[in-house]
Amino acid sequence: MKTMKTMKTMNPFRMSTLLAMLFLAIIITSCSSDDDQAPEEENEVEVITNLSLIFTNTADASDIVSATAVDADGAGIGELVVLESIDLAADTEYTLTYSILNALNPDDVEDIAEEIEEEDFDHQIFYGFTEDIFASPVGDGNIDSSSDAVNYNDEDVNGNPVGLSTTWTTAATASTGIFTTRLQHQPDLKSATTGASDGDTDFNLTFTINIE
Amino acid sequence: MKIRFLLYLSFCIYSISLTAQEKKCECCLNGQVLDADSKEPIPFATVLVEKTGKYTQTDIDGNFLIEATCPDNYTLVISCVGYSSSSKEHHHQNGERPHFFLKEDFTSLQEVLIQAKRNKERGTETITQVTISKSNIRSNPTQSLASSLSDVEGVTFASSGSNVQLPVIQGLSGNRILILNNGLKHAFQNWGGEHAPEININSANKITVIKGAAGVQFGPEALSGAVLVEGNPLLLENPLYLTLGSGYETNGRGLNTNIEIGKGTQNWSYFLNGSYTRIGDRKAPDYNLTNTGKEEIAFSTGVLHHLENFDHFDIKLYYSFVDQDLGLLRSSVVNSAELFINSINADEPIIINPFSYDINQPNQKTQHHLAKFEVDWWYSDESKFNFKAGLQLNKRDEFDVRRNSDLPIIDLDLITYDYQLEWEHPTWNGLDGTIGIQYFTQNNDNNPGTQTTPFIPNYNTDRVSVFAIEKLKFDQNTFEAGIRFDVEINDVRGRETNQDIFRDNYTFSNLTASIGYLWRLGNNSSFRTNLGSAFRTPNVAELFSFGQQGFKSTFGLLRFQDTDGMLSTSEVTLLDESDVDLERGYKLTSEFRTGTNRSAHVINGYANYINNYVFERPIGVFGTIRGPQPAFIIDQADGLFLGVDYTWKKEISKKISSTYGLSYLWAKNIGENEPLIDQAPISTDIKLEWDQGETWVFQSSKWSLTPSYTFKQFQAPRTVSPESLVDGTAVVTTDSEIFDFLDAPDGYFLLDLSWSFKWKKLNGSIAAQNLLNTSYRSYLNDLRYFSDELGRNILINLNYNF
Repeated sequence: MKTMKTMKTMNPFRMSTLLAMLFLAIIITSCSSDDDQAPEEENEVEVITNLSLIFTNTADASDIVSATAVDADGAGIGELVVLESIDLAADTEYTLTYSILNALNPDDVEDIAEEIEEEDFDHQIFYGFTEDIFASPVGDGNIDSSSDAVNYNDEDVNGNPVGLSTTWTTAATASTGIFTTRLQHQPDLKSATTGASDGDTDFNLTFTINIE
Repeated sequence: MKIRFLLYLSFCIYSISLTAQEKKCECCLNGQVLDADSKEPIPFATVLVEKTGKYTQTDIDGNFLIEATCPDNYTLVISCVGYSSSSKEHHHQNGERPHFFLKEDFTSLQEVLIQAKRNKERGTETITQVTISKSNIRSNPTQSLASSLSDVEGVTFASSGSNVQLPVIQGLSGNRILILNNGLKHAFQNWGGEHAPEININSANKITVIKGAAGVQFGPEALSGAVLVEGNPLLLENPLYLTLGSGYETNGRGLNTNIEIGKGTQNWSYFLNGSYTRIGDRKAPDYNLTNTGKEEIAFSTGVLHHLENFDHFDIKLYYSFVDQDLGLLRSSVVNSAELFINSINADEPIIINPFSYDINQPNQKTQHHLAKFEVDWWYSDESKFNFKAGLQLNKRDEFDVRRNSDLPIIDLDLITYDYQLEWEHPTWNGLDGTIGIQYFTQNNDNNPGTQTTPFIPNYNTDRVSVFAIEKLKFDQNTFEAGIRFDVEINDVRGRETNQDIFRDNYTFSNLTASIGYLWRLGNNSSFRTNLGSAFRTPNVAELFSFGQQGFKSTFGLLRFQDTDGMLSTSEVTLLDESDVDLERGYKLTSEFRTGTNRSAHVINGYANYINNYVFERPIGVFGTIRGPQPAFIIDQADGLFLGVDYTWKKEISKKISSTYGLSYLWAKNIGENEPLIDQAPISTDIKLEWDQGETWVFQSSKWSLTPSYTFKQFQAPRTVSPESLVDGTAVVTTDSEIFDFLDAPDGYFLLDLSWSFKWKKLNGSIAAQNLLNTSYRSYLNDLRYFSDELGRNILINLNYNF
């Protein structure tokens, strides 16, 4: 049997070339990486921490009733807390608007209502309330049936209601009930007939409402 | 007229085909002599084994067989009437099949040296493993890596829809199995269940699945096994080859093309490989799966230079690139209770649109670059040095259905440097082995502008490892043992949701070991057993997850505190101050093989005990701005996995064979004495193969029919419906046992049929997957809450070899 060739001992030139490549490779990596940077600060617009319903008396702009729900730690396991009930005067017309904020970073409070407005063609707020609480709209709201009456003041580019501004006239008699507001995110889905069961829910809050 | 010869030789190589059995002095040399250009067989060439004086002639198909030979070094002299021959040997990596080329030389016959070595990875001879050949890999060029392995018993895949599939080896997946691409750990965002390795199988020449704890050999994360993907071997003296392939599949109207070109001269070899895949929305038997398309571009190239002036040197450069855009089922995006309840209770996905090739949110866009420099240096006959330096860049952008959906919700860059130096030392007192040192460093960065808090932090990982693996053989016994020491330093910087920065720095060191024994009993049987350990550091998602993911909130190991019953997620705990520890696995795997060409059995039993197994468990239901939502935390307990894989191959006739397979897994969280979720159910299948041989115009025609049955997972956790979570009828506390939102799907029967053929230079196949168009859901697909699996798919592939 004849071997292909006789093997020689290690060639010093080859050995040093190999080592040189090894050192070079290590030097390249240790120079380039190893940064100490944290990720940059972001405008966190996915999270809502403070949501306030603002009822403004259409006859008297200084008469404002607000009710707030807060989930102070946002995505953390702290519970959502409804801070107040909605206390409205009887037989009065109110305009309902919202303050929707991400206040996790007190130095940089994000206005989420602005984000919703920018994509109003993909969003709609639906309402549910105890019957006879309001003189207008009548009924129990459009969460259970999207064609039920709600007085929307705003609409998107496609002519469909949004719900960031709505009008409510309380009944003449005092009563107590519940009031639910629900934002549905309906990307590529929203139409004139889509309802509260279409799309994904971005907020779903229930308040106690008192008509005095 | 110069004619070049190609000689293929196969030796006693362990593989699932069970044809060449390891016996003492009962090896055989068999091969085929072909004309290099036309690939036509050369009949009646004489093959002489010089040492023994045995000789034979090739038959009409160019085949020859010499039996009763001992494993040894041999010289073969091959001569053909009318041609002279000389030969050249390429000194291969340990274990590679020797490849011989006969050159024309009208002067004299020269001698040829063959060195037959075992075709096994270092230190894994005693661990059960299966190799998948190139032809099986490329039979379906658009499938994922995980899917190409799933024929192997004990191996299946977990998925998030059809575009994201992760290999599962004997119950474990994710970063409990290690994936090596061309010898380098595939460095990707290997956390969560929705990240599949970005490896295009068109560039793979061979894939080996190692079903055992291979921590010593390959490093951390090989708790249950490893998948070794090998690319083009860059053979020398290889005539120019060009292969063009093209395919179409009916489910998704998918198109695929691939091209490979390469050549090897006396001292150089190169290859170029590219592929493109475009698939549209897939279809379940009853409806379209909207937004499940995929687009993938892949390219790889390599160059080998062989130096022989001083010592044997092989220098290799390799580069590969994969770019993917993967669609995820649109109806799987669910953040609120009512939508989740509606989705789970509906017969069909909530959103179904007509077929489209468009890929919209939710989707994943990834790019993976890999560059490798490798040197093999045989400084003596029996020993060599191997040095590898690898650089990988993994860019991942994930998009979700949300406001500002054009912005990614995850935008990560991961850069990895990997250096390995191994020394295969000369045999000392019968010990044959490898000693190695490795330096691995990774840098993960979030790119700004996602308008959401980074899901995982920025981090750097540096790891130094040393290992030694030795093998001792005498008579029919082989012993293997190995030891490895790793030190890993992690530096983490992240942001909380209120944008406060958190930092952490932790170091782990660990010793892993393995010991194995292989016994060749008698003529047809072997028994191998291996006890090995492996470890892994809990990944960044397991440590730092925070907040909502679909219809639940999950808090990582360091984001959750339970102080005397008071639950809190407001702090980030430092790892050194927490109870978090490494996951350490110990796996005992044994395999018994017996049989002949007519009937062969392989049975593999394993027991895998994992200390500090990371899992997710419920802690309660909490009020959120969207309504009530379940919350989970990541926890650690001890897990135990026991199982058996069985294969029986029987030759029914000369042309027909059947292979019966069964995979059984029993898994439990023994620390908490409760079930584990998402474990592979029992499955069984029979593969019937009919090799028609030469039929009509075809040089080769083969049929295969595979009925299979997957059982319902009987060990699934209890079911708690989302309705009962929301209305409070189901009470969940920190002591609650884990639950699932839906019962495990029923068992299902599937039928696959395929026909492959060869006609002159054209080869191809027509295959039908799920031929009966069965509607079913897979327990390992986390989209099973929303939709069925794919319906019938007919795949047509054609390859032309120039």
